[in-house]
Amino acid sequence: MLNIKNLEATIDNKHILRGLNLDIKPGEVHAIMGPNGSGKSTLANVLSGKNGYEIKGDISFNGKNLNEFSTEERAQKGIFLAFQYPLEIPGVNTNIFLKTSLNAVRKAKGEKELDTLTFLKLIKEKASELGIDEKFLSRQLNVGFSGGEKKKNEILQMKLLQPKLSILDETDSGLDIDALRIVADGVNTYKNKDNAFLIITHYQRLLDYIKPDFIHVLSNGKIVKTGNADLGIELEKTGYSNLA
Amino acid sequence: MSNFYDFKVENIKDLSLEEKNLRKKNLDLFFQNGFPNKKIEDWKFTDLNSILGKNFNNIANNNITSEEKNVKLIEEFEHNFIFLVDGKLVSNNFDLEDKNNIFINDYNYKNEIKFDKQSSLTLLNNALATGGFTLEISKNYKFKKPLVIYNYFSKNLKESIINNKNSVILNDETELTLINYIDNDSKDNFMTNTIDNILIKKNASLKNIFINNSRCNGYFYRYIKSVLEEGSNCDNYLLSAGLKFNKLDIEIDHNEENSKSSIFSALNLLGSEHQEIKTRINHNAPNCQSYQKVKNVLNDQSKGVYQGKIFVKNVAQKTDAYQLSKALILNDNSEFDAKPELEIYADDVKCSHGSTSGSIDFDSIHYLKSRGIPEEEALKMLISGFLSEVLEKLKDTKLKNFLLDKLERQINGY
Repeated sequence: MLNIKNLEATIDNKHILRGLNLDIKPGEVHAIMGPNGSGKSTLANVLSGKNGYEIKGDISFNGKNLNEFSTEERAQKGIFLAFQYPLEIPGVNTNIFLKTSLNAVRKAKGEKELDTLTFLKLIKEKASELGIDEKFLSRQLNVGFSGGEKKKNEILQMKLLQPKLSILDETDSGLDIDALRIVADGVNTYKNKDNAFLIITHYQRLLDYIKPDFIHVLSNGKIVKTGNADLGIELEKTGYSNLA
Repeated sequence: MSNFYDFKVENIKDLSLEEKNLRKKNLDLFFQNGFPNKKIEDWKFTDLNSILGKNFNNIANNNITSEEKNVKLIEEFEHNFIFLVDGKLVSNNFDLEDKNNIFINDYNYKNEIKFDKQSSLTLLNNALATGGFTLEISKNYKFKKPLVIYNYFSKNLKESIINNKNSVILNDETELTLINYIDNDSKDNFMTNTIDNILIKKNASLKNIFINNSRCNGYFYRYIKSVLEEGSNCDNYLLSAGLKFNKLDIEIDHNEENSKSSIFSALNLLGSEHQEIKTRINHNAPNCQSYQKVKNVLNDQSKGVYQGKIFVKNVAQKTDAYQLSKALILNDNSEFDAKPELEIYADDVKCSHGSTSGSIDFDSIHYLKSRGIPEEEALKMLISGFLSEVLEKLKDTKLKNFLLDKLERQINGY
């Protein structure tokens, strides 16, 4: 599904990713761990098509060169990034945002856009699965939401848009245990043989709830070690310093 | 006399000698100064003389009477209406109200033309005004439905100036929502110079809304004076984007205790539009509140101006006055000027002001795009979110949705 070869990324003359390779197949859950400043969030930003990065190397998504697509086209083709810091958008109603987003993705896929009633029924259902109060959906997007509410809102968007590849950028940060469990359940119930996850995290604790097939350690812009779920537990004991 | 205007009191028919002379006196005084230019503090960001000079060859007061009535009525909500063609009262309809409580007439200039030195545009208006309405509402009468004033401009106004005056009196305990509605897509250059005199008596309440519904090459100036008595309320909503030139000059006098006023403005300016909101809130009595929130989005080569003044007289203790201007500048060729002013002579007051301007937040755009929303739509969502916030406090849902629709139309460029 996703093949990254020798990816380099530079921003403001800082060389952050320095030859990263990664292969993700449908049905797989990959976790990327690593110390601060190793390039984890840069990888997420680059995959989402954020402006400002100078990119070298290949990223192919389902056989297509991702570098040729804009951020919105990537989203429409099934790449979803759950933001580490979801943005507050004053004046934009959450429901209207969600409907606009869903219909933009449906339209790009050649599917019929949903009318308001059908949409509201759908969103109500998805929100209740995540324990999100309907009232949140009529508020301004993320404005005044707690950290946990913002992260749940990201997972709600994921479940609504049904992406092929979901990138979760430190979705566990700022979550209490209950919220963490709800978010993890959201991921686990969405997971199937056709979609894949790339989970970026500092800590093992999210991986206690979402079991990864592979764990990669990112250091200084490169993957320096890859292992199975046990690697996370080992890292929790030994730290990253031995790996760099 | 300048070469781009030619104004004559003689163009106005049926004047008594006395009125004619008074008008001439006003006009002579206007000629001494001409249209205001940037040397006048109130016009420092809007050099009207130079703007008109560039866009007109010979503006005249032709005193045209048009029979056209081509306005598309608002269908979204039930309303009463007053129909003005080129500033003149043509018809009115108050079928939804108890008509015994409503007094509507042509503006009576014979008693009202004054000689005052307030500003050159007031002098010009006094000299040349030929239309307008007076509306008075009886004590205790609360309007059931809004009153829309359809401002229609006929097709033969090229190089013309319209001067008119309106007066609205809300007696004690009355309520009215007034919607000044402009729907004109004229490509001709014409100018309007309007004076609104509004008196809001004890515990009366006025919502005064200005909406423009299409792009128009007219040059609009409007001086709106509202006088507030005890416990009265005056809320102004300004959504006038789309007019090539517009200056709304709003003065509110809090003359008695416990009166409240607000000004909410949301403008998405396109092309070479130039719009100014100028306010002066006079706190002349204690325990009054005023609130101003002015939001501008500047696209293309547009120019937005906000000059907001809060004046607090020494007796006006416990005044609570607030003023905020926020601008989004989306193009390097666009411009926004803000001049907030506080002039306070009382010592126990709460007054604050703020002004910010910046560009769009690209991280927010990225966030919306990452959800599949195309860039242009994402930008519009952010603009709409930024501007629509000024309508938040409106309680009438039908009216609010109507205004949101109009705002959306302005954001989408009509």
